[in-house]
Amino acid sequence: MGLGSRAGLSAFVAFMVGVVTILSLLLGDNPALFGDQPGSDELARRLALPGDVLLRLVVIVVAVSIVIGIANLLFVHIGRLARRKFISAVLLASFGFTIYWYVTRQGDTSLLEAVQVPIESSLAALLFLSLALGGARVMRKRADIWGMLFVAVALVVLLGSLPLAELAPVKAWSDWLMSAPVSAGARALLLGIALGAVVAGVRALLGQDRAYRAYRG
Amino acid sequence: MDDTTLQVYSLLFVFATVVLVYTARFFQARRGRRRRQRQIAGFERIPQWTTQSIESNRPLHLAYGGAAVGGDNTPVTLAGAEFFHQVIEGANASDASPLVTMSAPETIPLGQDTLRRAWHKGDTLSRARWLPPGLAYAGAVTASMADDEPTAHIMAGQFGPELALLLDSASRHGQPSLAVSDRLDGGAVAYAMADYVLIGEELYAAAGYLAEDSPARADAAVLDVWRALILLGVTALLLLEFSKQLAVLSGPLVAVVAAILVLLGLVSYRRR
Repeated sequence: MGLGSRAGLSAFVAFMVGVVTILSLLLGDNPALFGDQPGSDELARRLALPGDVLLRLVVIVVAVSIVIGIANLLFVHIGRLARRKFISAVLLASFGFTIYWYVTRQGDTSLLEAVQVPIESSLAALLFLSLALGGARVMRKRADIWGMLFVAVALVVLLGSLPLAELAPVKAWSDWLMSAPVSAGARALLLGIALGAVVAGVRALLGQDRAYRAYRG
Repeated sequence: MDDTTLQVYSLLFVFATVVLVYTARFFQARRGRRRRQRQIAGFERIPQWTTQSIESNRPLHLAYGGAAVGGDNTPVTLAGAEFFHQVIEGANASDASPLVTMSAPETIPLGQDTLRRAWHKGDTLSRARWLPPGLAYAGAVTASMADDEPTAHIMAGQFGPELALLLDSASRHGQPSLAVSDRLDGGAVAYAMADYVLIGEELYAAAGYLAEDSPARADAAVLDVWRALILLGVTALLLLEFSKQLAVLSGPLVAVVAAILVLLGLVSYRRR
């Protein structure tokens, strides 16, 4: 089978699976769509079945993919070790030791809690510093009216969140900012993202996505 | 609005998008010339980064973050893959294979496929790297910034506040960055800290800006059409609501104001 026909086949399969899933999700489990005719409940249930099966398959594939992720991590670091990047040995040794610990101590996760949790906590603390620094850098990177507005709004919201009676007017401003302009802006952003998602979804549904096109190799 | 009506509207919306996509592609193919698009600084900077990658033999870092195939953010993952494909094709003359990172394991096959399709010099398996999610991802990528010394970072996918760690580290290493996230908190961090930022649906139009093929440009045009229609609808509804609440406003006055607003919108759009 040539590249073109293979790409055509995969695009066709993608199209069929997409159409079946979307129709099944939209029409299934909704007897009201078929009026009060006898058997409409059974028809709606049957229409929902293909969508359910395909979505369950997705869940299984996603669950299996975590194994692929771990294999990828190990493969990458073994390769790095072969190129004399010895820091990867630490990761491989930690991986092996954690597995050994878990198996020999009957599922004891104290090692994970003793190492992973403190490290993530310190990263979270660093994150706070990075965010504060980032806020301070806004004026350097965006020295325009929008940068100033960004910093002013951030300051008002931060001050408004302080539990001080003297800052009650600022809190009122902060509440208004959060409920009106921020909410409107957030909705506009989400609307844009949703529009983009629909167009990207339609591309995939029609088998026009790059993954279904011929692979040049 | 009950479920049935909502489902019918959803189907109609998807169907209308399909019709628009095909119509836009038809006209784009017939017209033959490049549609004028508004300028987005981030897209204009990418050719410079790919050139730097070629000249310095240092890789580009392309990050999906937590974007995953199979979940709610599948479209953003596919849009990111298309974007990365165009970037990698531009950097093909470099000897350093781009580095693709992700924290969702189900994105590994997509990342490797993107690399395989666009990068024709091998070494693709080890260059698509899965890293544990959340802060661990940020920590691991931060470490690789010193190790791999990427020319630039293009982060397109799902990121939360942990993006601050990545962008701060990139900035300290003198490595430029472009970031876009489908999460609002990640988007805010990107706006504040990235050198270049894409907002909202701009990621989905990326291929239309970077590629020469007309379908991608037609899809970007469809996004613009939908956005314009929604803007018109929202403005019309707003003016109608005002006209009901204020006795001063009459129907013709509302129509005139709406026409002026539309005209101003068109003029400012063409000027951009």
